[in-house]
Amino acid sequence: MIENGFDETTSHSAKPQSEGQAAGYNRRDFLKTLGWGGTAVALSGCGNTSIENGKETVVSYVEPTDYQIPSIGVYYNSTCAQCDAGCNIMGRVREGRVLKLEGNPNSPVNRGKLCGLGQAGVQAHYNPDRVRQPLLKGEAITWDKALGLIAEKLNGVKGEEVAFLTGTMSGHVRALLGNYMDALGSKNHFVYEAVSPAVERAANKKMYGVSMPRYRIDKAKVVLSFGADFLGAWISPVNFSQQYAQFRKGSRPEGRGVLVQIEPKMSLTGANADRWIAARPGTEGMLALALINALGTAGLSIPTDVTAVVKDYTPERVSLDTGVSFEQINRLAKLLKERSPSLILAGGAAEGYAHGTQNAMAIALLNHVLGNVGKTVEAAAGVPFPQIAPIPGSRSALTALGNGLASGKYKVVFTYGANPVYSAPAVSKFSENFSKAGFKVAFAQYLDETALAADLVLPLDSAMEEWATEVPEYMAAPEGNVGYAQLSVRQPLMGRLYPDTRGAGDILLALLKQRKADEYKGFEDFYAYLQSAIMKNKAALGGADCADDKFWNDTLGSAILPLKGVAGSISAKPAIAGFALPAPVTADASYPLRLIPSISHSMRDGRNANEPWLQESPDPMTTIVWDSWVEIHPKTAAQLGIREGDIVEVTSKSGSIKSQAYLFPGIHPDAVSVPMGYGHQAMGRYAKGVGANVFAMLDPVYDKETGELAYHETSVKISKTGERIIIVKEEGPARGSQVGRKKIAVKVSADKVDLSKEV
Amino acid sequence: MSVSNLLQNWSTFRHEHPINDKPHAEIKWAMTIDLDTCIGCNACSVACYAENNLPVVGKEKYAHGQSMHWIRIERYWGETEVKEEYDPNSNFDMVQQDFQADQGAQFLPMLCQQCEAAPCETVCPVGATNHTEDGLNSQIYNRCIGSRYCSANCPFKVRYFNWWNYPEQENAWPEPLPLQLNPDLTVRTKGVMEKCTFCKQRTYTARNNARSEGRPVHDGDVQTACQQSCPTNAISFGNLVDPEARVAKQWEQQQVDLAKEKQEKDEKADNKLRGYRILEELRPYPSIMYLERVRESAV
Amino acid sequence: MGKDIREDIAWAQINNDVLKSLENPRKLYWVILFAAMLVFSVGVGCEIYQYNVGLGAANMDNPHMWGLYIATFIFWIGMSHSGTLLSAILHLMHADWRKPIYRFAEAMTTFSLMTAGLFVMVHLGRLWQFYYAVPYPSERWTWPNFQSPLLWDAMAIFTYLSSSVIFLYIGSIPDFAIARDNIHPGWRKKLYSILALGWEGTDRQWRNFRVTYLTVACFLIPLAVSVHSIVASDFAMSQQPGWHVTSFPPYFVAGALYSGCAAIITLFIILRYVFKFEEYMTLPILKKTVRLTFAIAMVWTYLNCIEFTATWYSHDQVAKDVLIQKATGPYAPFFWGMIFCGSVVPFAMMVKKWQTSIPVMFAVSLLLNVGMWLERWMIVAPTYSHGYYPWTWDHNQWPSLIQWGIVFGSFGWFTLLFMVFCKIVPSVSMYEVKEMVYHRSLAKKKEELGLEGGH
Repeated sequence: MIENGFDETTSHSAKPQSEGQAAGYNRRDFLKTLGWGGTAVALSGCGNTSIENGKETVVSYVEPTDYQIPSIGVYYNSTCAQCDAGCNIMGRVREGRVLKLEGNPNSPVNRGKLCGLGQAGVQAHYNPDRVRQPLLKGEAITWDKALGLIAEKLNGVKGEEVAFLTGTMSGHVRALLGNYMDALGSKNHFVYEAVSPAVERAANKKMYGVSMPRYRIDKAKVVLSFGADFLGAWISPVNFSQQYAQFRKGSRPEGRGVLVQIEPKMSLTGANADRWIAARPGTEGMLALALINALGTAGLSIPTDVTAVVKDYTPERVSLDTGVSFEQINRLAKLLKERSPSLILAGGAAEGYAHGTQNAMAIALLNHVLGNVGKTVEAAAGVPFPQIAPIPGSRSALTALGNGLASGKYKVVFTYGANPVYSAPAVSKFSENFSKAGFKVAFAQYLDETALAADLVLPLDSAMEEWATEVPEYMAAPEGNVGYAQLSVRQPLMGRLYPDTRGAGDILLALLKQRKADEYKGFEDFYAYLQSAIMKNKAALGGADCADDKFWNDTLGSAILPLKGVAGSISAKPAIAGFALPAPVTADASYPLRLIPSISHSMRDGRNANEPWLQESPDPMTTIVWDSWVEIHPKTAAQLGIREGDIVEVTSKSGSIKSQAYLFPGIHPDAVSVPMGYGHQAMGRYAKGVGANVFAMLDPVYDKETGELAYHETSVKISKTGERIIIVKEEGPARGSQVGRKKIAVKVSADKVDLSKEV
Repeated sequence: MSVSNLLQNWSTFRHEHPINDKPHAEIKWAMTIDLDTCIGCNACSVACYAENNLPVVGKEKYAHGQSMHWIRIERYWGETEVKEEYDPNSNFDMVQQDFQADQGAQFLPMLCQQCEAAPCETVCPVGATNHTEDGLNSQIYNRCIGSRYCSANCPFKVRYFNWWNYPEQENAWPEPLPLQLNPDLTVRTKGVMEKCTFCKQRTYTARNNARSEGRPVHDGDVQTACQQSCPTNAISFGNLVDPEARVAKQWEQQQVDLAKEKQEKDEKADNKLRGYRILEELRPYPSIMYLERVRESAV
Repeated sequence: MGKDIREDIAWAQINNDVLKSLENPRKLYWVILFAAMLVFSVGVGCEIYQYNVGLGAANMDNPHMWGLYIATFIFWIGMSHSGTLLSAILHLMHADWRKPIYRFAEAMTTFSLMTAGLFVMVHLGRLWQFYYAVPYPSERWTWPNFQSPLLWDAMAIFTYLSSSVIFLYIGSIPDFAIARDNIHPGWRKKLYSILALGWEGTDRQWRNFRVTYLTVACFLIPLAVSVHSIVASDFAMSQQPGWHVTSFPPYFVAGALYSGCAAIITLFIILRYVFKFEEYMTLPILKKTVRLTFAIAMVWTYLNCIEFTATWYSHDQVAKDVLIQKATGPYAPFFWGMIFCGSVVPFAMMVKKWQTSIPVMFAVSLLLNVGMWLERWMIVAPTYSHGYYPWTWDHNQWPSLIQWGIVFGSFGWFTLLFMVFCKIVPSVSMYEVKEMVYHRSLAKKKEELGLEGGH
């Protein structure tokens, strides 16, 4: 595909790295020098004189190779690794350097679009703080030595004494890891995500029979979201944003959709809602049941078993408990009754409680009552190969690992794609327990907190350098193809920046060879393994009539392998005995405020904190950059005498942080909110020491059914330290923003505008 | 180099955009931004950093208002409550308590409006900013001497000055980050003004490709970086002269005329259209039309 | 009122007194010169730093694109006007009392213009490319943009500067001849020989000299008015609230004359003391200058009122906001400081006793100039802090020490140039003072003879 060619012809894949070497030169060096040449071109404007430095390494443009056209950008397809949504991307490659990531237009997941977080993937790749060599307690060693050391440490260790901690895994790396764990005789694979929809999966499983259904925001006339930040950080935001764009179109048959968001702290989705309602934290489930009652009153027929379950939750009573007015509940019910189909979503803000699963189930019940299940909540298909299906991460996995570590039963622990030393609450004493493990090996791209605590650090390839496959947990599908599933391919977009980094697949393969040399000796590297694994299933992957070469080239060209999915089925409403929804807790006088650790759309759980574009792109709601902050409702702040920029100390029973106060109207007056992902003590120059780590101060309260950490159950008090600063933010200190908006950011009421004829 | 040469030359590049001027023959690039679908996610801004070699300035310089984002996302709150007699000077404790969040917030991506009668163009002493034949305000970095008059006269304040030698700043591009730089355009050194170019490197490639194929530029041949990344397709970009272009259709449907400082539809009581241009009454004739944010009042 | 000058000073005495200033000033001269060098070197240091790291060192930002540099630039341009007023306008009006003080006023014009020119340079982001703004013939046919007020500005300043230098030089030719004839041999004698262009004081030379001097004076007057009108255009031609004001050109010109006159009073007092010019720079002359200054102060105040009322009744809400913000916001102390110094302090000049009091007038003249500098700052900065686009409002920006340092240094540069000038060129016009004495004695003689028509 040529520069700016948005035609959908397939591009050719980057060649495997071994071929360049076979041709008599080191391809990586070649790429680097050419890449350097490109930089020189880039820097040549405006009197920058650094062109001359290193000119001897510039390779002339008149010696092109067959996969590079000097000065022409070529797009290679791959898969984004910045979050778990698994967007399909294409990287613009010029002179052997990947320059920019775009969404792959053929992808049903992101349909040609890519969020800021995804685009910052190039900065993970070119990051100046990457680990470049295997490190044994900080000292650089060779790979042979590192692998030898692992073999030595594993020698004589029983399977149950080995644990492997990873982030969400899928695809062939997951399969290989499974094989390795089998070879070790260990079942201790812990899949940990600090921020995951684990509660929702459990509730969905109970209420719909599937843990991750497909949501059709684009088909809904009303979306009522209980704290699901689907435009920001929830499950597959780019896909949902695309659906949202359809949903807001006045010209679609359903007309412009209406979005109502119920959450105590305004998320990006809340900011885009037609109505944002701050119910008292934790009362979301109740509100859903009250809505069912109100719907019944409004004339919707409610099944009798449901009526029985919800009858205690009258709008009048719930109105008192939630702080949402009786009229508002009725207005919502009226809207939901009149405009069908609708879609009710439950997200993190409704689930982070000890009764989180109950909340989510109550909310899901609303979908059943409104008849949305099957219309806007569809069953998604699963992948036909269970060994590559995603193992969704959860927070409870870390609890399990932590318990094991505390008992000292693990002799060897591996970590990959997880940073629990940073993201585990201080009270869980994870880092202390972690140090009890005999030998700790971290697969790491950065020297983050966990890698620093490990004995041996194995440097990973970036997502632009490695081979992998991925199956998205949230399986989006092209229109009308309900049974669609896909396997996404991640391939190198350029040669390695550093010769001593390895892909996770390569490392696992090398480790497997230590155990089962015979079985794996045929695979020179992970690429060979991957190719053979895919080619073996060519027929099942839809390539029965295709020549091997062509099939493989096409696979790498599109980087998307459509699979015939295993049809899931969404179940009718289950029988529900009743809900255990506690009345809102009366405030503890010493800790009067509820802490809401917010998930920023770009910072998430902090794994990407060392990418400068993300640090410098303002938080959409507060417009703050390069720091964390404490959001306080202006009324609460006035009571406490807090002004913007005051450094406040937020203290819970389990810890405290200090950060700058930001007065924020989009938060419940009884709550304060601090973003996650800041306050790293290591990781790199852009992340280290920026902001405060809110994970550290969370109370150890867990969801009763899933064992997930209940993120919103921490109560805090807040006090001024006396220090005050000017907040660094896009908004500007004069706050003039709010004055000129009538002329500048214009808002119009939906009944005053005709959207139906819009282009 | 006689005086008559000078005068001749002068008359050929002096224009009165967009009135009393020959119409844009082939191409007039323009944009539409739908504020109802814009979710404020900053993807456009990051895309712009990646595409246009924008430096990361770091916290300290950001605090000094020296950030370099060509496209910035502004966040506004509900509109019912700012007191008429607001106090423009209380820097921190302004009437924040009256901000209303019931209908969410509002986001507005602000970038160079590529005005047809651009206030920045006339004042540049060296002619470093010019009107191109495809209707953009070009900025010639090599010509710029850094008088900053253009920014002084810009009503939108969307021009960004290289206060420092950003390529050498520690935050911007430490090794090996320079490998990411887009070779299609330069990295700007200290002392020059820069701003959104509507991804000129992309529009020119598209025009060249079209020319070599002997055809006009079609709608969809080129996307700006912000448009390409926008997860909600809130941005559309194209040739206003081409009646088939989505942008042209939108402008026509919204009855927004490029060459007017006051749109006729706004005078009508039953106006149900939501296209508007920011600070249109100052007569810069901006090339970006915004579509008003819509909010359902029934809830 | 006393006499502007004693009518019984011998011409030789005049030569003697003035030429003495080239030889042995008071010690204070050296103190001032040394202090000026120190101050200037601070400015140079700051500029070197800024040149190397970029203008960020000045702590300007978006929206505060211009800062003290442009404010101080206008200040110095303004300062230059009174020289022309005294030397050219009053020359045409045959105001004899200007004669002892016009030379240094004219020098002040030249040097403050040079200082102003420096600020244009210091302000540029890419100083090393400043010549792009000059319309020089180029192979590539790249001209500067003739639409830009900044370009007009550059040309106006350059024209004004070159004319001022010529005017200053022409007016000094007879004095160079006197110096040539009286100074002891050495490099200065050679210099004066060259500069005097063979002046012998013949009738023909005097005739030509008079015509030339008059012509250049006539040429200079419109220039002086235009140069500050054009500086005003930098603002008035822009679209920004608070700048887009029709009355700006006369307002700027009045402000310029005002600050210039105030500076003349300051320098008058300094020179009078340092070079022992008490005989020539007499208190009656000071009194006249003070009265002139007071009149201009009132014109300036009036134009200020016009600007404010025009904005207030203009229905231009944004401009009005800028005005309100200026008067009540973080800039309020400076704004009211400007009003106080510019419109209240001059009333001290109404007190007869103070009009000839050296210490009072010294303090007043300095305060007036502080006020005028603040005025320029209050034109530039508030508009940036509170412009059309509220999102970018920034009321907190404060110039960095580098910026202050360069502004500070410019005073050193000016003083240095001025002091060196006074040591090399006779800072009191000897031949004109002689004329003045002659006129006085003529008038006195006529008075004694009881004739009418003496002046």
